[in-house]
Amino acid sequence: MKNKELTFWLFITPVLLSLSLVVIVPVFMGLFYSFTDWNGLNFNNIIGFEHYRRLLEDEQFRNSLWFTFRFTFVSVIILNFVGLGLAVLVTSKLRSRNILRTVFFMPNLIGGLILGFIWQFIFIRVFSAVGDFTGFEGLLGWLSTPETGFWGLIILTVWQQAGYIMIIYIAYLQGIPKELIESANIDGATSFQKFRHVIFPLIAPGFTVSMFLTLSSSFKIYDQNLSLTGGGPYNSTQMVAMNIVDTAFSSNQMAYGQSKAVIFFIIVAIFSLSQVYYSKKREVDL
Amino acid sequence: MFKGKHFYKGLVLMSAAGVLAACGNDGDVPGTDGADDNGNGETEEEVSLAIMQGKVEFNNQFNELADMYMDENPNVSIEITSVGGGTDYFTQLTTRFSAGDEPDIFSVAGPNEFEQMAEYLADLSDTDAANAALEGTLTDVTGEDGVVTALPYNLEGYGFIYNKEVFEAAGIDAEAISTYEELEEAVQTIDGQKDDLDIEAVFAFPGAEAWVPGNHLSNVYLTHEFDENVNEAYNAETVAFEKGDEFQRMLDLQVDYSVGPVLSLDYSQQVEEYFSLGQVAMIQQGNWVYPTLLQMDPEFAENSVGMIPIPLEGYENQLPVGVPNYWAVNSNKDDATVQAAKDFLDWMYLSDEGKDFVINEFNFIPAYEGYDDMEISDPISQIVYDYSERGDTIGWVFNGYPTGWTNNEFGPNIQAYIGGEMTWDEMVENSISAWESLK
Repeated sequence: MKNKELTFWLFITPVLLSLSLVVIVPVFMGLFYSFTDWNGLNFNNIIGFEHYRRLLEDEQFRNSLWFTFRFTFVSVIILNFVGLGLAVLVTSKLRSRNILRTVFFMPNLIGGLILGFIWQFIFIRVFSAVGDFTGFEGLLGWLSTPETGFWGLIILTVWQQAGYIMIIYIAYLQGIPKELIESANIDGATSFQKFRHVIFPLIAPGFTVSMFLTLSSSFKIYDQNLSLTGGGPYNSTQMVAMNIVDTAFSSNQMAYGQSKAVIFFIIVAIFSLSQVYYSKKREVDL
Repeated sequence: MFKGKHFYKGLVLMSAAGVLAACGNDGDVPGTDGADDNGNGETEEEVSLAIMQGKVEFNNQFNELADMYMDENPNVSIEITSVGGGTDYFTQLTTRFSAGDEPDIFSVAGPNEFEQMAEYLADLSDTDAANAALEGTLTDVTGEDGVVTALPYNLEGYGFIYNKEVFEAAGIDAEAISTYEELEEAVQTIDGQKDDLDIEAVFAFPGAEAWVPGNHLSNVYLTHEFDENVNEAYNAETVAFEKGDEFQRMLDLQVDYSVGPVLSLDYSQQVEEYFSLGQVAMIQQGNWVYPTLLQMDPEFAENSVGMIPIPLEGYENQLPVGVPNYWAVNSNKDDATVQAAKDFLDWMYLSDEGKDFVINEFNFIPAYEGYDDMEISDPISQIVYDYSERGDTIGWVFNGYPTGWTNNEFGPNIQAYIGGEMTWDEMVENSISAWESLK
């Protein structure tokens, strides 16, 4: 008995230690610093909720938050839709399905910063070249307005992450027992009915995982945002992560940035956890 | 057989120690590592200099220079860290300081950085370089007690860089332009013939870069509010935009006659794609674009590029020239190290080898005396040096703007104005209140 406990601690200690050193301790330090006038090197006073009060009046932070919500909402829907679609496509009887899996997954291997610059080139140069050639005005001036900046970010994110989400769905799609599909076939179900009533409930755990991943990653996007639009034009496409970095490192208001980060952490935690809770409830067991 | 309990306990401790050791590894700062004596007979004490600086463009050349110095002085070993981009550099510098891995020489720019590093700035008044520094280049870094705390890297200047071929073909003498009206007329003339001149537009204005309108252009119109003194700007509680109207019409002129869409146009498009390929007649930039131009098209860069000041009523023909970066020596080090650091800086700017490197390899516009007989290799730097020698310059104050003002408030406001989201008055009002709240 004793021995078993020791083994337990033996295995958990390295993880526990590193986790507390790089996550848990910094979280509490950050929380503490958000109540001080810390400047990155040292602090003089504990100022209580001053920073949080200021946050309520910070219009740019509010705008970033709102932009991030909109972005997350749209990108989570499109990402899961596209990811699932790709998964269904490459688990079908297509001959090129193996190569397609690789192709769809590949964007995920490129770093967000580089992707941002590549897409910036596509949106600004390629789009305008095609637009000039065809006379289609919707392709001109991308990334120079808030709307095109928004959709540019969505396209970039979906293009990058859909492949990853696809892999998760593939795993669950392949885990569906053949008998169930077969019996549905015998019962005369149409493809849509099969998908809606057999496949979809069975891949619900995959849905939970993917929703969680897309939700939290969309909330926290920074590098794509930085390289694609840089927050421009006029900070209209600045997401919360970027707003925090700017506050802390470019305006040099470390403690204020920290308090924004605390609020952001709480928001992301609430959304992610409640999403997992509700999705879990819908999963079915075989 | 092991007695289970002790064995496991030992393992737990070992793994814990392993984790801790992995985290604490950066403690061993290279103290005196240039220790491989090659028997040069030097009896001087070994000194190692850690240099951290924020001008990443000349990193390779700077390393070469350091190698030369180390060859001459075998007892000195120099280790250079270059970090690019204004904000990133300073964050990393403060990180190194708070981690206890303090560099011996580091670069500082702007009053805010000076204020934060104040306790680490050694007195450099007794260096030869400080005595040789050109007039005005030390005013920003001299305390009230006359103590010089930093040495200038170089000089930089900006204005309208223009394509001589286009101006010639349009029959305009750029050098004769000194007022806004003359500039506007020239712009309209060129714009009227843009098909014949085979250009896309007169300007390429990079609206995506907050610093082009937010720092450089605004400096021309705000500098006199602060007596051309960066510290005065830094200490100012507010900003008035006294010459706001002139600022507005110059911004409008550049935006109206620019390649579009302005708001997504960035620095590299402006310089590389549009200007160096002859697609536009002029751009608002400084001497730092020259290496890029040279890389794109050496013939064009050497023969067809000129620069004129941005016209300002009452201050015609004056070029904004400033010191972008300063060297500081860490006062927290022992005397021998501080002295070695001073010697290195003196050598870099005042010895013959150093001077040659500063001019020909760094492509710096020297901020020191004693370069009169040397030829500055690029034409734009030559123009900047000529203006500074004549004293026809206006000071840079934008490094004294409140931290983050340009990037997070003023710049985006200007973008909003360009995008039609704000009126000019709203832009000004907003930016003033942002200045006041950031103070």
